[in-house]
Amino acid sequence: MAKVLRHAAVAAATAALAGAALADDSSSDRNRFQFEIDASYVHADSPLGAWTDGGLGKLRYAETNDGLESTRVFGQYRGRIANALSATVIADYQSDASSGIDVTEAYMDWRPVPKSENQQQIRFGAFYPPLSLENVDLGWQSPFTYSYSAINTWLGEEVRPIGVEWSLHRRLGYAGSPHELRAFASAFYGNDPAGTLLFWRGWSLHDRQTRLGDTLPMPPRPIFDFTGAVVGHAPQSVDPISEIDHRPGAYAGLEWSYAHRVLVQLARYDNRADPYAFSGGQWGWGTSFNQLGLQAGLPWDLGLVGQWMQGDTLWVQGARADGTLSPFAALVRDDFDAKFLMLTRLVRGAHRVSLRYDAFDMHRTEGQPAGLQSDDGHAWTLAYRYEHSARWSGGIEWLQIDSARDNWAFFYASYGAPKHAAETEIRLQMTLRVGATPR
Amino acid sequence: MATGVLRSSKSRSAVWILALSLGASAQAGSLRVTVVDDHGPVAHVAVYAVPSKPAAPPASAPSSVMDQAHNAFVPHVLIVQTGTSVLFPNNDVVSHHVYSFSEPKQFELPLYKGNAHPPLVFDRAGVVVLGCNIHDSMLGYILVVDTPHFASTDAQGSLSLDGLSPDEYSLHVWTPRLRPNDMPAPTTIKVAADGTQTLSIKLEGKLAPDFYEGTRVSSLPWQKY
Repeated sequence: MAKVLRHAAVAAATAALAGAALADDSSSDRNRFQFEIDASYVHADSPLGAWTDGGLGKLRYAETNDGLESTRVFGQYRGRIANALSATVIADYQSDASSGIDVTEAYMDWRPVPKSENQQQIRFGAFYPPLSLENVDLGWQSPFTYSYSAINTWLGEEVRPIGVEWSLHRRLGYAGSPHELRAFASAFYGNDPAGTLLFWRGWSLHDRQTRLGDTLPMPPRPIFDFTGAVVGHAPQSVDPISEIDHRPGAYAGLEWSYAHRVLVQLARYDNRADPYAFSGGQWGWGTSFNQLGLQAGLPWDLGLVGQWMQGDTLWVQGARADGTLSPFAALVRDDFDAKFLMLTRLVRGAHRVSLRYDAFDMHRTEGQPAGLQSDDGHAWTLAYRYEHSARWSGGIEWLQIDSARDNWAFFYASYGAPKHAAETEIRLQMTLRVGATPR
Repeated sequence: MATGVLRSSKSRSAVWILALSLGASAQAGSLRVTVVDDHGPVAHVAVYAVPSKPAAPPASAPSSVMDQAHNAFVPHVLIVQTGTSVLFPNNDVVSHHVYSFSEPKQFELPLYKGNAHPPLVFDRAGVVVLGCNIHDSMLGYILVVDTPHFASTDAQGSLSLDGLSPDEYSLHVWTPRLRPNDMPAPTTIKVAADGTQTLSIKLEGKLAPDFYEGTRVSSLPWQKY
């Protein structure tokens, strides 16, 4: 009954926002509402269960979800406070999340009118770092596939700085130079547990973005006896956006592009979390990574998008959910590495076909058990999307993930989890977008 | 028919080939100009002829239009005579915030749609680079010149300047696709009372990709915000 009431409340709020968006469609863009409803028919096949149910699997949906799903319902409000100052809020409804409606991003951006070639912008609030070359559509969605790459799925799950970001854009050389440079840097709070879900569950490919107040399910934590044997499991979850040690994290990057045809980005992110800090039921995980991003226009109007991320997370194995350390607690380091390469082509302006290959890995480089492989796999994603109008679009996606983990055998042998798993998901999606900005 | 090769800036010279054909009689002379580079004709290159005797100011102040449509300045390069008033209509559904920090004309047209702002007078010669503070990818130019004799090359790299009264003219070439140092140096041309002179101008510097092509080739949304 409570669930029905929540759905009814959400439907009412949805209708109200949609009404505002429709009314605002062609009038002033001082206040702009954009609104989107995504509904899918999903068929998933995984021997591990959906991670959203606390399973070990990499998919958002499992066999039990077969049928119609409301994948995402969200609205974006963008208001101009002054000529160079704007506010953006993106609120999401997810049927399978810990709470109904919550915010994914909320920030102000200030873009003073340039007095020279240097074009600067300052953002303040909760936002995505500009690290994804894939999630460039409204609401940080991908215009290419429905499920994001492993890298960007994880950024959507556990990386959401709450702080300030400065960026600078300039053309290199003369006025018409095709060389453009962008630099960005940020100091932020939050994100201290980033890496927790990545370790316990492994990489994942889906489109569920964490909202600021979300608690994410995780596979249960194994309980060890004094011999180091797993004697049971305790439920666990993570609030990835939390601030634990009150030490700011930072990221910075540099982006070069040529004539809008080639773009190369180099960036570094470090949440600078103290792995011995504990607050609000959460431990810090010191997570940092470097990333290389690449985008290029190829012959035959093919587009190429790729990212390669390498990093590590430093955390205390044996840190208990009550904030105490077990007698065997020890600092461990797990290295992670993921990359994807995607080819995409827009046909006759309305049809888009995209093919993506993902490869990912996570293994122990410090601490016991030595060399523990907590993830190793690859994935193929093929999507066709059709934009019928600015309002209606739809498409189909096929996703296949193959992975192997010692982790399962070590921590979850009693679960009967296999060492290798093949997971597939087929999705048929319909999208209604209201109040969209014509590009 | 006379053919001459004229000097250009630096050693990497642009080559000016001048052919004079004494044709049908007319009150004024004409120039037909073709701009090429190693790969063939070059479109959207501005060519203007400045007379040695300053032209009498026009009876009424000229006016021109720099449109904004589909998040782009149209035309990409607008050429106007000094003293021209330019209107900046925004025909997009979204607002634009047009600005320039270029030396000849620094201005700002805060967020608007339609014809919210009165026209601006461009009274100093030079290149005015236009931007939009909302849309980083918007880039346009207003080339302000001290002459009413100007044109832009078509797809065949050609243009003609007609109605030139007999005089010595300084012929200039400009395109945003060349570094300022690689731009062919102005050359002096004597225009007689009648007849048409044909010129071929070869650009020697490395041309940046054509903006028009650049926006079409990529099927990716580069605009992130």
